[in-house]
Amino acid sequence: MGASLPPKEANLFKLIVKSYETKQYKKGLKAADAILKKFPDHGETLSMKGLTLNCMDRKTEAYELVRLGVKNDIKSHVCWHVLGLLYRSDREYREAIKCYRNALRIDPDNLEILRDLSLLQAQMRDLSGFVETRQQLLTLKPNHRMNWIGFAVSQHLNANASKAVEILEAYEGTLEDDYPPENELCEHTEMILYKVSLLEESGSFDKALEELHKKEPKIVDKLSYKEQEVSLLSKLGRLEEANKLYRVLLSMNPDNYRYYEGLQKCLGLYSESGQYSSDQIEKLNALYQSLSEQYTWSSAVKRIPLDFLQDENFKDAVANYIKPLLTKGVPSLFSDLSSLYDHPRKPDILEQLVVEMEHSIRTTGSYPGSDVKEPPSTLLWTLFFLAQHYDRRGQYDVAVCKIDEAIAHTPTVIDLYSVKSRIMKHAGDLTAAAALADEARGMDLADRYINSECVKRMLQADQVPLAEKTAVLFTKEGDQLNNLHDMQCMWYDLASGDSFFRQGDLGRALKKFLAVEKHYADISEDQFDFHSYCLRKMTLRSYVDMLKFQDRLHSFPYFHKAAIRAIRCYLKLHDSPKSTAEEDEMSKLAPAQKKKIKKQKKAEARAKKEAESKSEESPAGGASKSGKRNVKPVDPDPHGQKLIQVEEPMAEASKYLRLLQKHSPNSLETHLLSFEVNMRKQKFLLAFQAVKQLLKLDAENPDSHRSLVKFFIKTGSVSAPTTAAEKLRWSVLEAERPSISQLQNKSLMEANKEFLGRHEDSLVHRAAYAEMLYMLDPSKKTEAIKIIEDSTNKVVQTNNAPGPAREWKLKDCIAIHKLLDSVFLESEAASRWKSRCAEYFPCSTHFEGKRSSLMPDSVYNSSRKSNENGDSPNHPMGQTELSDGQLQALKKLWSCNMPNVYNCFSI
Amino acid sequence: MVCIRRATVDDLLAMQACNLMCLPENYQMKYYLYHILSWPQLLYVAEDYNGRIVGYVLAKMEEESNECHGHITSLAVLRTHRKLGLATKLMTAAQAAMEQVYEAEYVSLHVRRSNRAAFNLYTETLGYKINDVEAKYYADGEDAYDMRKHLKGKQNHHHGHSHHHHGGGCCSGDAKAVETTQAVDAKAVSK
Repeated sequence: MGASLPPKEANLFKLIVKSYETKQYKKGLKAADAILKKFPDHGETLSMKGLTLNCMDRKTEAYELVRLGVKNDIKSHVCWHVLGLLYRSDREYREAIKCYRNALRIDPDNLEILRDLSLLQAQMRDLSGFVETRQQLLTLKPNHRMNWIGFAVSQHLNANASKAVEILEAYEGTLEDDYPPENELCEHTEMILYKVSLLEESGSFDKALEELHKKEPKIVDKLSYKEQEVSLLSKLGRLEEANKLYRVLLSMNPDNYRYYEGLQKCLGLYSESGQYSSDQIEKLNALYQSLSEQYTWSSAVKRIPLDFLQDENFKDAVANYIKPLLTKGVPSLFSDLSSLYDHPRKPDILEQLVVEMEHSIRTTGSYPGSDVKEPPSTLLWTLFFLAQHYDRRGQYDVAVCKIDEAIAHTPTVIDLYSVKSRIMKHAGDLTAAAALADEARGMDLADRYINSECVKRMLQADQVPLAEKTAVLFTKEGDQLNNLHDMQCMWYDLASGDSFFRQGDLGRALKKFLAVEKHYADISEDQFDFHSYCLRKMTLRSYVDMLKFQDRLHSFPYFHKAAIRAIRCYLKLHDSPKSTAEEDEMSKLAPAQKKKIKKQKKAEARAKKEAESKSEESPAGGASKSGKRNVKPVDPDPHGQKLIQVEEPMAEASKYLRLLQKHSPNSLETHLLSFEVNMRKQKFLLAFQAVKQLLKLDAENPDSHRSLVKFFIKTGSVSAPTTAAEKLRWSVLEAERPSISQLQNKSLMEANKEFLGRHEDSLVHRAAYAEMLYMLDPSKKTEAIKIIEDSTNKVVQTNNAPGPAREWKLKDCIAIHKLLDSVFLESEAASRWKSRCAEYFPCSTHFEGKRSSLMPDSVYNSSRKSNENGDSPNHPMGQTELSDGQLQALKKLWSCNMPNVYNCFSI
Repeated sequence: MVCIRRATVDDLLAMQACNLMCLPENYQMKYYLYHILSWPQLLYVAEDYNGRIVGYVLAKMEEESNECHGHITSLAVLRTHRKLGLATKLMTAAQAAMEQVYEAEYVSLHVRRSNRAAFNLYTETLGYKINDVEAKYYADGEDAYDMRKHLKGKQNHHHGHSHHHHGGGCCSGDAKAVETTQAVDAKAVSK
């Protein structure tokens, strides 16, 4: 390096490198300039100066200099390496790999570059390349542990676990017998366990177990040891031993469900579906009876049997399970039992049981058949349970009744308000739900959980500014909402994006959904530093798990949701005629909205100015107080206005669609969106693929049916094929059509009719039929609407509770209302539908039900009005009023900042 | 009703979500990754019957100081899942792993002075004692109690602190930067 320079400059060059490594960039820059004064064309110096500038956030100059460096000294591996580093810092890994390769062509055995290359190969999952580089590193430096381990891991990742074992064994051969020294016990443990897991993965269970037993004294992580051992014993069919070991593990942690599952498997008493024969149930019951005597303090042994026990046995067991928890007042009891509601008979049994308890406690103060007096709180928690029970069954009136009684019983229990808030949300009154959540929040301002819940409800009620103000009460001072973003708070991005979407603000909505995508990109990026870190730390099992996790990252729910929503935004953008002029947009908005937007604009301008003046104060980006991160540049597009100017929304949508198709292929939504996107792109064969996927996943789903019919309406109406491509498409579709069983020898009209025949009693299916009927033959509009209106909302619950539960779901009814209004364009039918649904859903604000907060006499009504502009965060109280003290405290809270929240509130 | 088990990498997103719901001290995903890729034995989760993560403990070893000791970075339990003793179970599990795998001499944590519920849990149920008060430890200016609990420590094998020092590795540097500004907060443990 710097070889071509005279001694003085060569020393200066070394100084640049050292300064770069120690992050003393100014010093490095000075040295570089000193060299360049004498040798202005010196390639390596130019490169190093560029690299230094890159770290000082002067990117453009950096690239110019580094490229010039390469040009001036194309034979220097340093110049290529530096260009690679520059690309790497910008996450342009493919380009970086090319540069490293060029550098290695000049200096093939350069360890540093080889190591850097191997990291990129791991990151990019260029696994064969990774193996190659790792092998070269080991050949060059076999006395480094890391090189052995790295080579083994690379083989493992490249699907050659047995080769990886061989390498580890060769490495172990180089170790002394008394290895490891005391300070490396943990690392060595990890290596042994990694090796055992490799043997297990390659199917050598015997060898794995043997190795595990042999190395037992050297393994300090005894829990991992046992878990690994039991897994191997099970796989080897040594069930008697596995059985014993599971019991040992259970005695260590009787709250780990996986041990119970494993134990059941050993005994041949496990079924994936949860279905058991009566003989099996008997055996299972006996097993858990004996376990419960052993682990008296474990609740798992009492809870698990509720899944397999039936009828009378279930009733007795669940009664015994519930009673102590109601007495103790465990708030999560209902959620704990909620999976039982998927069973056909268990919900009825539960209802009967808990109603009996309620009655008995009211009349005698004890549970049925007992003379032990219950504390007063037992009634409260019984009512709390019943409220959630009726909510789950869709009997919102009864649910509200129960929760109101609970609140009257003990008004200070915060959970009651949270549950009431949830009931109101289900019943269709999001404003009331938000007000109740806010009431709960007001009862303990130091608790972020109820704050978060409240923010979520506010966003659901489209009270975005208020939600923002409430959320920032718990973010670090100064950076406010950005803090939520920096901390990757994805539920918030999704919930606020949804609200913007509902309000028609596609720019902001997209901004939020794409933020989630950005978080995922960052998380994916996070793995980079761990490629070398884990080889040193030896946490190889976790490392490989992490890589697998990263490979599946986009199948995790937040991404799935965000991608779906982003695609919906792009579909909307595509469908709405482009009007670039802002005024045009504005003219479509209601006056209140206009005012809001204007106000936001002003605030933005102010914020921008502030941010600019701040960045002036600290040139070159500057570092924050803690020095950990540079101050972020001002977001040039805070409201996503640029995002909605996108030229080809469908091209953008396709990017996210591909990820969904890869990572969520079993989701109906993926293929529905693929259908919508490809129809718009006129990619009919791809759209047809989507239709076939939909039919495969769920042929009877109303949306699958819609897609099928729409597809053939559309392709049938396109004029006769002319180009070769069109003809080809045609012949493919002609050949494929008979394979669709729904269409065999049938017209679309007939197929639609048959669909109705199969689902005559289902509202959503009738609606799909009606919509398709209208689409197939617009003259049949009246008939189609009649099909919808003739649907009956049957009573499904036979229990004796007042306010019977009916079949129809609120969200379906709202969708049908929108269908009548905006697809059929029949405002009369829509309004008939609305008043009919207002009867079924009296709390629904959408249908303006008589008990909704839209009604003038609603307790939530006043709150709603003051909420709208979000200027004054309010504390609407359902029934209870705030005490003076609370009000005072609240005022204080709003006038000052976070710390006070902690100090003055602890109710 | 709630399963207590070691966390896996697949749990990290849910742990982060749980943290963001409950606590004012939050971390980026990289910090969670750093923990599980450094001390995989010290992360535990509470998973409810529907498979949802309702609580977690995120802990680490302090390897730089003279005495090998553990530190609780963060502990949270959803408000909806109080009264089940989850915080205690999670803490006990993490402490046991520190003791057993790393032979920690003691375990430390920070707690807000105002957080009586958490303070009581630490002192009365778990046996922690106040070691020091750190003035203005939290970003909002509140003091923290620096608390410690003695563990059994060294037994059969000596465990030094001379782990491989990793100079220049961005991840340790990064993580430390996070540590200095963010701290444990044990709010939202069972009240």
